[in-house]
Amino acid sequence: MPREAEPSLSERTFTLQAISEGLRLDGRKLDEFRSLELSFGDDYGVADVKLGKTRVLAKVSAEVTVPFPDRPFDGIFQITSELGPMVAPSFEVNRPTETEVLLARLLEKTIRRSGALDTESLCLVAGQKCWSVRVDLHVLSADGNLIDSSCFAVVAALRHFRKPDTSMEGETLTIYTPAEREPVPLSWLHSPFCTTFDFFGEDGEIVLVDTTWLEEQLRVGSCTFSLNKHGEICQISKLGGKPIEATLIIQCAQMALAKVKEFTDLVDGKLAEDAKRRDKGGLMAELSAENER
Amino acid sequence: MPLDTSTYSLALLRIDGRRWNDLRRLHAQIHTQDAADGSSYLEMGHTKVMCVVTGPAEPQAGQQKRGTGGGGQAGGQKDGASIVVNVVVAGFSSVDRKRRGRNDRRIQEMEITIQKALAANLHVHLFPHSTITVSLHVLSQDGSLLAALINATTLALIDAGIPMTDYITACTAGSTSSYAAGDDSADPLLDLNTQEEQELPYLTVATLGDSDKVAVLVCESRVQVSRLEGMLVVGVDGCRQMRRLLDGIVRQKGSKMIKEGAVQRSDMMAVSLED
Repeated sequence: MPREAEPSLSERTFTLQAISEGLRLDGRKLDEFRSLELSFGDDYGVADVKLGKTRVLAKVSAEVTVPFPDRPFDGIFQITSELGPMVAPSFEVNRPTETEVLLARLLEKTIRRSGALDTESLCLVAGQKCWSVRVDLHVLSADGNLIDSSCFAVVAALRHFRKPDTSMEGETLTIYTPAEREPVPLSWLHSPFCTTFDFFGEDGEIVLVDTTWLEEQLRVGSCTFSLNKHGEICQISKLGGKPIEATLIIQCAQMALAKVKEFTDLVDGKLAEDAKRRDKGGLMAELSAENER
Repeated sequence: MPLDTSTYSLALLRIDGRRWNDLRRLHAQIHTQDAADGSSYLEMGHTKVMCVVTGPAEPQAGQQKRGTGGGGQAGGQKDGASIVVNVVVAGFSSVDRKRRGRNDRRIQEMEITIQKALAANLHVHLFPHSTITVSLHVLSQDGSLLAALINATTLALIDAGIPMTDYITACTAGSTSSYAAGDDSADPLLDLNTQEEQELPYLTVATLGDSDKVAVLVCESRVQVSRLEGMLVVGVDGCRQMRRLLDGIVRQKGSKMIKEGAVQRSDMMAVSLED
C-alpha cells in the first residue's frame, strides 16, 4: 500500500512554530478561508468548485428506475465519490482509504440523512417507477479541506440541477424532453454546508479553518460541523484525535454558523447569476417571431 | 414515529421510568477471557458488548492490508505501536436480523473513530514495531452503541496493562423534543436507548478522564445549534459518572486479585481491601 510522503522535520517545525505564533504559510489569518470559486457548467447540475488549489467537480444525473421494494414511495438518491491516484499517489482505485470512507459517510450524513432532498417527490408510480438521482463527485486536485469543498460542490450541483418534467394521465406516464417542456428543479428543502475546524498546539487550543494539505498532515485533531442557515445542526463529527475543551467546541459551532450563512449567500448569488445568463430576454424573446438571420 | 414520548412533560419520566439524568444499569466485568491479553464485557442497559485486546505484539503478516487499521500508518512503525480496531456486529444483536458486511461504512467509521481516539490517548511510543489489536463484538444493541464500545475498549486496555493518559469514557445525550419543534423548554436527556434514539436528536460524547476535554463527539441528527451546549454539558457530566463507575469496577477487580493472591500487595497500591 503506497503511503503519503510525510512532511520533513524542518517543514514540520517551521509550520507548527509559525502557527503557534498566529501565522500561516500563505499569509492568511487563522480563521480565514481561501478564495472559494464556484462555476456552473453548460449542462444543468454540474458544479466546479475551487478552493485554493483544491478543485472538486460534482455532476448530477437522473434516470427512471424501479424503487427499492422496502421503500415503494421513495425515489433513489445516492452520492458517489471515488478518490483515485489523480488526487494523490496514496489513493488506489477500488480500495477505499480512510479518507474516502469518512468523506462518503460525511456527505451521506450531511446531505442524505438530514433530508435536504425530498426523496418522496422523486416517486413517479408507487412501487414501480421513480427517479434515481445520482451525484458523482470527482476530486480533480486535493490541497486540503476536501470535506468542505466536496460538500459545497454537491449542494451547489444539486440545487442547479433540473430533471425532465413528467405528467401522469390515467395510467400513462409521460416524460418530456427539454424541448417540449422546461426541465424542473428538484424539491430541495434546506442547504447544509460543512465547516471543518482543525486543532493545533499542545492541548489543541489553536483553531484553524480551511487547512492546506501540509497543515492537515500536522494537525492534532479536527472537527466537522454541518449546519444550514436556519441554525440547525445536521451532523457533527469529531472522530478521535486530541481531546479538546468542550467550551472551544461550542465556540466553533457558532463560527460554523456564520460561515454557513456566507456559503448560502454565495450559492444563492451564483445560482441567480446563472439563471440570468440562461434566460436571455425572458418571455419577450420567446414571444418574438424574429430570429438571427 | 415509533412511539410517543410526549408524556414526558407530564411526569418527567422517560419511557423506561428514568429521570432525565439517570444512566441505565451498568454492568461490566474485566478479564473475562483467560487467553487474551486484555478483555472486558460491558452492559449498558440492554446494549451488550465484548472486547478483546491482543498486544502489543509483533505485527502479523497481512494485517495491514485492510484499509481501516493503522489509520494510514503501516503496522510496526518505528516511532510507536499501531492500533487496529475491528468491530463485529452479531446478526442476532438487533430486532431485525440484518447482515452487515465487512464494508459497512457505518461500522468502518466507528472503527476509525475508536482507533483515532485511542491513538491520541495511549502511550504508543513505548511499543515501537508492534501492533495493538482491539476486537469488539456487539452482542445486543439497545442504543448508545458507540459509547458502549468505547467504554468496553477502555476497560480491556486497562486489563491488558497498556499505559494510557486516563480513562476514555463515553455516553450519549439527547434533547426531549425533535428538531421541528422550536420550543425552548426542551430538557436534555442522558443515556438514550434505541426507542429514544430513533425519535429524538442525540449525540455521543467521549471525554478524557475527569476533565472537560472531548475526545469524540458524534451527532447524526438535526438539532438547533442553541441546544448543543445543554446536550454537551449533560453528556460530559454523564461521562464523568461513567468514569466513576468504571473506576469502581477496575478497583474491585484489583482488590479481588490481591485477595486471591494473583498479585502481590505492594505499598504503591492505593487499593483498600475492606470493601
